[in-house]
Amino acid sequence: MFELDQRIAEQLTQVSLGSAVQVRVGTSNSFMVTASTILPLMQMFEMGGVYISASRGAVEIIQAFEAIGIDVSNIHFLDLVSSGVLGGTDVEYSNITFIDSPIMLESTLLRTLYVLRTVNSQRNFVFLDSVNALAIYNDDRMLAEYLHTFINTFRQREVLSVILNVPDQTPPLVLANLDTYCTDLVDRGQVVLM
Amino acid sequence: MTRLRVSIRLRLDGLFALIAYKHFINPRPILSPVPMQSTSIYTRDRCVTGIHGLDEILRGGIPYGSTVLAAGTCGSGKTTLAMEFLVRGALAGEACAHFTATEPSVKLLENIRQYAFFDMNMVDSGLINVFDMDVLYSWLGLEKASFDLDDVHALIKSIVDIVNTIGVTRLVIDSVTTLCYKIKSEQLIRDFLFTLGKKLATLGCTTILISEITSATENAHWSSFGVEEAIADGIIVMGDAERMGHLLRFLQVVKMRGTAHSRAKHAIELTPLGVMLIPMLKWGASTDKNSRWGQ
Repeated sequence: MFELDQRIAEQLTQVSLGSAVQVRVGTSNSFMVTASTILPLMQMFEMGGVYISASRGAVEIIQAFEAIGIDVSNIHFLDLVSSGVLGGTDVEYSNITFIDSPIMLESTLLRTLYVLRTVNSQRNFVFLDSVNALAIYNDDRMLAEYLHTFINTFRQREVLSVILNVPDQTPPLVLANLDTYCTDLVDRGQVVLM
Repeated sequence: MTRLRVSIRLRLDGLFALIAYKHFINPRPILSPVPMQSTSIYTRDRCVTGIHGLDEILRGGIPYGSTVLAAGTCGSGKTTLAMEFLVRGALAGEACAHFTATEPSVKLLENIRQYAFFDMNMVDSGLINVFDMDVLYSWLGLEKASFDLDDVHALIKSIVDIVNTIGVTRLVIDSVTTLCYKIKSEQLIRDFLFTLGKKLATLGCTTILISEITSATENAHWSSFGVEEAIADGIIVMGDAERMGHLLRFLQVVKMRGTAHSRAKHAIELTPLGVMLIPMLKWGASTDKNSRWGQ
């Protein structure tokens, strides 16, 4: 039985639209924390949104959500991974848009804005999965700049930003920027024993 | 006399001491507020492009009657941008015209139908009028390899007549490069563009001339013949920034007479709802040769 972290839902009742929530996860609890964040947003707060998948292909994420009973029909996925895999974009889901590469950060932002213009839900979130995956391909300064733009763009539009990261795999400069600009923190990062 | 002078000096010294004392006790603010002078700044009426983000860059739109060069490399989104400019005008009830020299009008319309902002009824109702330059050349008897002065004047007259007859307020010529290939003299190209721009401005028509360029880097010309950029009131450059083997479309307003505007590079995306822009990430738009991010 898959057990969700109920305290995340309680914590999310404190945030407002336009907030930027940094969600710190470990390497082993990433999906559990993601599901524990997405589910209340969709069911308790009746939000729709955009899920930016840079860590895994969107199909894999959709299937994982569906397997635990989360309906993702109200979420549009921007898949930054599958274009790099031959045949990865040949899928039947209409709620997936493929971005050429995780380095196309501006395209990702523009596509997110486009999707938000087309969705029906009044209250929306943008879920970025994840900063450490983007850090594989992007320079630290550029990624920090992107996250700064990302947070401010959606705050201005009253769209909730949820930014997932594995802190010990995220460059210090980027992490410092996240700490500064995010309004809330859900900390489920693993303690690393040295 | 000496006593009097001493007396005055003593009195003045006392006065200065008093002023200095008062100032010390109750100092005047160094930056005292100065009332703002009311100024009336003349602003030209704008042709609101309706393109998401572009009007913001242009502080409200293109000044009415301007001739704007949309210069770009192939596949940079020039035709889509120009077509959306016309569609947004048509949606506001303006009569628009598109002269196509690079592809047949049927093909152009088929390509543009994929965009949600375009509605074929605009063409059927006469709000958007698409003309094949080949057909226009045929009407004018200009089916020849190169144009002389008389040919150029005949061409200008026919375009202006169409604009005048239909009451066109938004015009696109796609592309002025293809058209100018037939005009062999640089002076004649200059005359053609200057006269056309002047006459269209008189009619209150805002024009986009599409120009094909091979490179949109910093040292490139913004036009094929070099004269178009000097004549045009505005220049919008479109191109691709290469980032680690991927091409990212960008747009930059280099010049726009009659308005303040941003000169920053903007990333663009061609979405079904039309062109969308956001400022390009500064670390991703670097032209520093030593930068990891190339151009």
